[in-house]
Amino acid sequence: MTRKKVKLAYIANDSARKATFKKRKKGLMKKVSELSTLCGIDACAIIYSPYDTQPEVWPSPLGVQRVLSQFQKMPEMEQSKKMVNQESFLRQRITKASEQLKKQRKDNREKEVTQAMFQCLTGKSLQNLNMMDLNDLGWMIDQNLKEINKRFDTLKRETNSQVAAVSVAGPSGEHPSQKAEVLTFEVNNDNMQRQQWFMDLLNPQPQEPLGFGGHDEMLLPFGDNNENPLWSNAFFP
Amino acid sequence: MVRKSRGRQKVEMVKMSKESNLQVTFSKRRSGLFKKASELCILCGAEIAIIVFSPGNKVFSFGHPGVETLVNSFLNRNPPQHSGAMQLFEAHRNATVRENNMQLTQVLNQLEMERKRGEDLNQLRKAGQTLCWWEAPIEELTLPQLEQLKASLEELKKNVTKEDARTFVLSVT
Repeated sequence: MTRKKVKLAYIANDSARKATFKKRKKGLMKKVSELSTLCGIDACAIIYSPYDTQPEVWPSPLGVQRVLSQFQKMPEMEQSKKMVNQESFLRQRITKASEQLKKQRKDNREKEVTQAMFQCLTGKSLQNLNMMDLNDLGWMIDQNLKEINKRFDTLKRETNSQVAAVSVAGPSGEHPSQKAEVLTFEVNNDNMQRQQWFMDLLNPQPQEPLGFGGHDEMLLPFGDNNENPLWSNAFFP
Repeated sequence: MVRKSRGRQKVEMVKMSKESNLQVTFSKRRSGLFKKASELCILCGAEIAIIVFSPGNKVFSFGHPGVETLVNSFLNRNPPQHSGAMQLFEAHRNATVRENNMQLTQVLNQLEMERKRGEDLNQLRKAGQTLCWWEAPIEELTLPQLEQLKASLEELKKNVTKEDARTFVLSVT
């Protein structure tokens, strides 16, 4: 069994072509048979080759006739609806692959923009970004804010039902406060300030486990000296 | 490693028991079958017709040069005709097929590349999450963390809007 990629073109060499034909025809018949058995369906194959005036068929000449009459009994429209030839089959495959490509590119773009957002959160400059990047970034930030707000609502609902279920006279001690205290910060563009702010945040908060080992580790993976351009590839043709 | 598909595993040759799997199998194998037939036609100059009934009793067919002509050839016991004019027509059509095949190969290669890129980006995200709490999924954040992240994002948004305006002005002056 070869593992070389075969060029999809008519094989000029006569003996090579004949050998290929024999092998692949056998494989094709096997595949039809498997499809029929695995899925419990009727099928037939008719193969005309340059080597024989008689076609080779599966399952058998009689079997083929049976399937053909079944086929021809169907209304014309049903017959042609899923009928393809080489060209239309190829075009179908091209269309499907193109759609998958488009989707994958979109997903990748979103992931890229998210990465950039995280980088900018830790101080990377916005100046290298073009209009399109900025637009996408703004959109991504909005999406995240929406999600955060939704999460707030969910959490508030949960804690409200908890409060209702538990009758307590006083504050419940270690539990995070029921009213979310809005932590305000001195808002400042200065990189240094922002780094300091994040370091303050990550220094041990009381009882809330942060879920990540990270206190002692590098807090700012994307430091000031990050040379990598955010948008290193011309993304859209 | 969890396998996504059963490729390279031996499959028992009996009718599949699970209806949902059966439908998927039919879809994939039918497509693969037509692909193989298509290749055989190109590589060896064969003429092939395949007719397949789906589990839902729809009929799929592939034919090169065409299902109907080949079916007639078979039923009338007449081998397909290859007149001079036909040959010219076929040569032209084969050229189109080659072009389309090249286009398909191109798209598939690009798809492969983008998928790889997607994988790399996923890895990057995962790595980031172990270092920075704010990169974790929002459902995993605590209330104070959410507050902080929200404030930070709102600040960033302000800067983005400013930079946006600045870039726009620069671009038109």
